[in-house]
Amino acid sequence: MTNMQDRVRRSGSPYRRQVVAYALAGLTTASLMSTTVYAQSVDLSQWSPEYIKSIAGTATYDTAKDCGAVVPNDYAGKVSYWYTGPFEADPQIAHDQDKAFWEAFKAAYPNIQADVQSITYNELLDKFRTALLGNAAPMVVRLQILGGVEFAAKGYLNPLKPEDVGYTSADFWPGALKSVTWDGETYGIPTNNETMGFIWNAKIFADAGLDPESPPATWDDVVTYSKTIHDKLGIAGYGLVAKQNAGNTPFRFMPQLWAYGGGALDETSAEPAYETVELNNDGSKAALQAAYDMYVRDQSVPTSALTNTQAENQAPFIAGQLAMMIAHPAEYAKMLDLASKATGADKATADAVVENMRYGLLPEGPARRAVVFGGSNIHVVKPEYVDGGAIDEQAVKALICMWTSPEWSTKLAWVGSNPGHLGGFKTEWMKERLDTIKFLDVTTSMLPNGIPFPVQPYAPEIMNIIVPDMLQNALTGTMTVDEAANDAAAKVEELMSGM
Amino acid sequence: MSGVSGSAIFTDRPVEPARRSSLLSRMWKQRADYLYVLPAIVVMLIVIAYPVYYTIELSFFKTPASLQLRDKVFVGLDNYTTILTSASFWKVTWQTLIWTFFSTLFAFFLGLGAALSLHREFIGRGVLRAILLIPWVVSTVAASYVWKWLYHSDFGAIGAFMVQIGVTDQPINFVDNTSTALASLIVVNVWKEFSFAMIMLMAGLQTVPEQLLRAAKVDGANAWQRFWHVTFPHLAGVSTVTVLLLTVQNFNSFIIPFIMTGGGPAGSSDIWITQIYQLAFGRQRWGAAAAYSVLLFIIMMTLGYFYVRALTRGDDKRAGA
Repeated sequence: MTNMQDRVRRSGSPYRRQVVAYALAGLTTASLMSTTVYAQSVDLSQWSPEYIKSIAGTATYDTAKDCGAVVPNDYAGKVSYWYTGPFEADPQIAHDQDKAFWEAFKAAYPNIQADVQSITYNELLDKFRTALLGNAAPMVVRLQILGGVEFAAKGYLNPLKPEDVGYTSADFWPGALKSVTWDGETYGIPTNNETMGFIWNAKIFADAGLDPESPPATWDDVVTYSKTIHDKLGIAGYGLVAKQNAGNTPFRFMPQLWAYGGGALDETSAEPAYETVELNNDGSKAALQAAYDMYVRDQSVPTSALTNTQAENQAPFIAGQLAMMIAHPAEYAKMLDLASKATGADKATADAVVENMRYGLLPEGPARRAVVFGGSNIHVVKPEYVDGGAIDEQAVKALICMWTSPEWSTKLAWVGSNPGHLGGFKTEWMKERLDTIKFLDVTTSMLPNGIPFPVQPYAPEIMNIIVPDMLQNALTGTMTVDEAANDAAAKVEELMSGM
Repeated sequence: MSGVSGSAIFTDRPVEPARRSSLLSRMWKQRADYLYVLPAIVVMLIVIAYPVYYTIELSFFKTPASLQLRDKVFVGLDNYTTILTSASFWKVTWQTLIWTFFSTLFAFFLGLGAALSLHREFIGRGVLRAILLIPWVVSTVAASYVWKWLYHSDFGAIGAFMVQIGVTDQPINFVDNTSTALASLIVVNVWKEFSFAMIMLMAGLQTVPEQLLRAAKVDGANAWQRFWHVTFPHLAGVSTVTVLLLTVQNFNSFIIPFIMTGGGPAGSSDIWITQIYQLAFGRQRWGAAAAYSVLLFIIMMTLGYFYVRALTRGDDKRAGA
């Protein structure tokens, strides 16, 4: 990052100011050159629900003091920040943690003025794009994992890596860091990361003659289970989602595609180059065929799948009309909320569904078990695109250090995600989450299976437009499975040609 | 025209050239009037002319996903060529024409029927008029969500009702079927728009002279003949305006298809505006979206020309008189 403007204005002789400036610069340089504030001690090779529980609550942190070593706590300045904070529909604890963060930031850095805007998930990208065109962007922005690379590729972001704010890259998931790396440079720091789990209704399984305590082991099993449930009970088996231009669709279909050995590009390989299109390989076609079999051949999934997002699956699930779906860790809390609002006979049904909810790992395929590696990253905008034409580097660093710390990356991801900083898994707050949020350990244990979407500026178009189009073309019979896969691959090829 | 050539025929005097002052000199003579409207003109130039100019300019560029908008690549008419030669353009254009034609047709005739029914005195006319106005005053966004749930392919109220009364065994697949999605959206659009046509035509019906209708009745004309030979000719003007306004509105429709199907499934309910939105905001092909918008703009201006002509036809006649 480049410090473009020092906003500190204090009285005193030039000599005194110079001394203070050199001292601050020295402290900052020392903090950046020194070893990390936190040494990583999370063993990713042991990752499992048991391991996650065993490390929770084993470490304590003093965030204000630790970040004070990066940016002195008496630093005076200003930072502007856009992010998606808690909104009305979010549980109270999300609001409380958000409020607590800003109070903690104010306490740690009383002289830094924070100009903060919370913008809804669906609006943030468009608003940020518009602000960049008008050179009116904030200094710092937190974006969904798929969003950052577009702006890095276009030259809107300053390089930013964990070492800039006192951490090491080893403190974060490798997949998460990959999602902020463009052309060999790191352009952000992960704030939170999550993977989804597989939810099923144990009672429906039992009624259909399936083992109520075991989820389908493979994606082929999902197809079979879905048909069995539909044929025996007349309800939808699997909650397929295939709406166009909706993020829910790739988050639910890509795990299946990857499991069968497919891919959009080569994102499943250890060192993806993102140069080969795999949407029409045998694995991708097998996954598309499985979706086709459920929707067209067996009619065992909701007919409304073509216009459904995940939100539309919640109502039939809580009503006991849908047996299985891929969902966030927060889905359990959502179901509890829906059950609490139900009345009369619906209330009894909803309570029974909550009682019978089970979480498991996503099914495996012939190639692997896979899930989308989701989350958000925090970025710093280049000064020329910022409102006012400058950024206050020290204030920016202070905010990012606090936000991505083990403490706050855990607390701010309380309900729906996990800490971006791996040290967060060792905190007492992670232990509290595991104790109070049912099934969190299961979804969290999927993290090592997480595959990030291709880190390319055109990834949003592939995932949100081309992949759902491919599904719709096949499921509506507009094209055969082969034609739909080949058509999608051709569109990606055209996209990659740059024009 | 000054009638100069007519004068030359009926007089021996040499023809004097018409003394028409130039546009600039006429503007100068009326400078005070122009000063009064100058602020409005400036505002219109900023909020209308500049965006139109910028859209036209942008339509000659491509905007790859890895480049900033300011680094756009000039491609001349390439965007237009690509659009006009793509199969999807003609599919979407055909769907737009179907959407516009049938929405306008049914909304107009339903509105006409409602207006004729409400033109007569009967008990409860005011209440019925208020009820029929509801679709028009309800928020389009809210109505779209309500209809989306009414149509829902698994749990929709319409489907459940059909099953209950024994019309079908399973809920009807309205919007998740490529064959029925567009027609289902047209039904919603007609429901939303017919009230507008009704209001316009009710106003038109006030202009039909009552004595003409009574005279026709005395002369033995039946109800259809009175409508066709007396009422309808009086509604011609307002009908033209109504149809033009509905056509423009339907060409520009966005909310209902966007919310209810997003143009799907498999593009079967995509119309021009949803396609433009998808190109611009879904795929960030700003240049292609701009080219699409320019084509739509040309159509809208053509319709606008006829609309203004229809509105000012009486003025021309009066001016001529």
